[in-house]
Amino acid sequence: MSFEEISHTADVKIRARALTPDALFTEAFLALMQVVYGADRRGGMSKEITIVSDDTESLLCDFLSEVLFIAEVEGQVFSRAEIRIDGLHLSAVLEGEPFDPVRHSCGTEVKGISYSGLSIQKDANGYMLDILFDV
Amino acid sequence: MLEGVRHTGVNEWEVPIGFVPGMRVPGKFFLSESLGKSLEPGAVQQLANVATLPGIIRHSLAMPDIHWGYGFPIGGVAAFSLDEGVISPGGVGFDINCGVRLLTTPLEMKEVSGRRDLIEELFRAVPTGVGGKSALRISPRNLKEMMVKGAGWAVDSGYGVKGDLLRCEDGGYMKQADSQAVSAKAQQRGLPQGGTLGSGNHFLELQVVREIFDPDAARAFGIRSGQVCCMIHCGSRGLGHQVCTDHVKLLETAAKKYHITLPDRQLACAPITSPEGMAYFGAMAASANYAWANRQIITHTTRQVLSKMFRIDCEEMPLVYDVAHNVAKIEEHRVDGKRMNVCVHRKGATRAFGPGSDELPADLVTTGQPVIIPGSMGTSSFVLRGTRTAMEKTFGSTCHGAGRIMSRTQAKKTLSGKQIVANLLKEGIIVRAHSENAIADEAPDVYKSSDEVVNVVHDVGISRLVARLSPIGVIKG
Repeated sequence: MSFEEISHTADVKIRARALTPDALFTEAFLALMQVVYGADRRGGMSKEITIVSDDTESLLCDFLSEVLFIAEVEGQVFSRAEIRIDGLHLSAVLEGEPFDPVRHSCGTEVKGISYSGLSIQKDANGYMLDILFDV
Repeated sequence: MLEGVRHTGVNEWEVPIGFVPGMRVPGKFFLSESLGKSLEPGAVQQLANVATLPGIIRHSLAMPDIHWGYGFPIGGVAAFSLDEGVISPGGVGFDINCGVRLLTTPLEMKEVSGRRDLIEELFRAVPTGVGGKSALRISPRNLKEMMVKGAGWAVDSGYGVKGDLLRCEDGGYMKQADSQAVSAKAQQRGLPQGGTLGSGNHFLELQVVREIFDPDAARAFGIRSGQVCCMIHCGSRGLGHQVCTDHVKLLETAAKKYHITLPDRQLACAPITSPEGMAYFGAMAASANYAWANRQIITHTTRQVLSKMFRIDCEEMPLVYDVAHNVAKIEEHRVDGKRMNVCVHRKGATRAFGPGSDELPADLVTTGQPVIIPGSMGTSSFVLRGTRTAMEKTFGSTCHGAGRIMSRTQAKKTLSGKQIVANLLKEGIIVRAHSENAIADEAPDVYKSSDEVVNVVHDVGISRLVARLSPIGVIKG
């Protein structure tokens, strides 16, 4: 399981790999939090969310958009997620801590999760996704 | 240049119908041979994708700061017929009415240069960066007024002077705003962020006018050589981001309902006059108004700091102009010899209305609209003026900035924020940001030369150079 930022001129493009869809979505979530808040993120509180969408790509975009919304309005920085995907239904328990301007100001705001360039693929090694965050 | 793209004139290129399936009109972009070396195939593909949308008029256009975005390319411009055309959040972007404004001051460079105390005071006064919250307490009722009245709400609330509104595109508000179409989530995000700069490429810069190219226009705009000015670049914050997120989803469903084939899901759209299209247009206009109010509050904060430090009045720091560069608008243009209303999308492009336009205040009718083009933190920014050629060729549009050429990953690998700050200081530029990463991300080396981009629009004639400014103090978001 891993994610990496791959070269994109204007925005942030993430490539993630994992053995299961649950783990793949977790990698995308961790990448998003790292881009916005940096690497120093801890636990302490938890938040449950559920998302239902029309297809897998929308499920990912809707989930990450909801995480951005919660993080911003509730001032929470997430470090971990336990995600379960059942068809087009996602439930997640997010763990994190309150936003700390000293430790969490080293990233960049993500304005939105784009469908352009979004792909989720399965191959012999597991699952892979590419996703673009507008910054 | 890329295969399949035709050279049609000096700095003018055409992407012919057939470059991607379903194109209704050709694509057209403006680029010098040397800027063409960094043109990404993905950007041209996106330009061609836009040409497949229903009701597109004449061309899918891109300015010389074209680069690969999502939905439309950045630098993309397209006009759509109101009868048969569509409106798309992919032609506006997440940061609705991200824009830029320029204020002049009565100060000279020697009074401001090297004043770290001034930069620190501005950095304290204007909230910036990730998690930056406003000191203002905006009530839900005030938020609604911001969304309806835009910069006018801010001026009425004491954040500015009446003259500011005459110097904003559309008087600082879009009358089509519909706050009911802005979700509760978007409003929740907007409440604590009025008067905040945000992060990424947003900035507040103190600059000095170094060169005047067009003395008559500069005089009309209130710009003189050696003068200290302030440039502010930001947008509609989380409110606008959420409006885009919400409406892409709604319009994707609508596109299926109206049998519109999309080459990219981020181009989700609906007929302009459909209920879904109108809802997006109303919400987008409300977000644009929020952005104008946001820049107006930051303007007021900046003036207060300068006023206190240099004992000058706010009236001595007039606005040159405020331009939106991520927006869709209903505008009157000449199409096939007839004047008609069309919906112009500008995604990383600036309105550049020429002399004689009814939209301009009386004292700017003979010069054309001021166009503000920011550079990067170490390079020149420019003031240009709109032209009649822009009205004919680009639906009154021009470039919006320098345009990136280096990815953020590459920037972080090869550039050190600390070193950039030290290098810029040697050039007399003080840079302040919350993190070194933010500085490396936006270093001068990651952008195309702003000089080269504005020279293309000047040579093509879609705007004309008026003045060059260079930074002396930079606050990065």
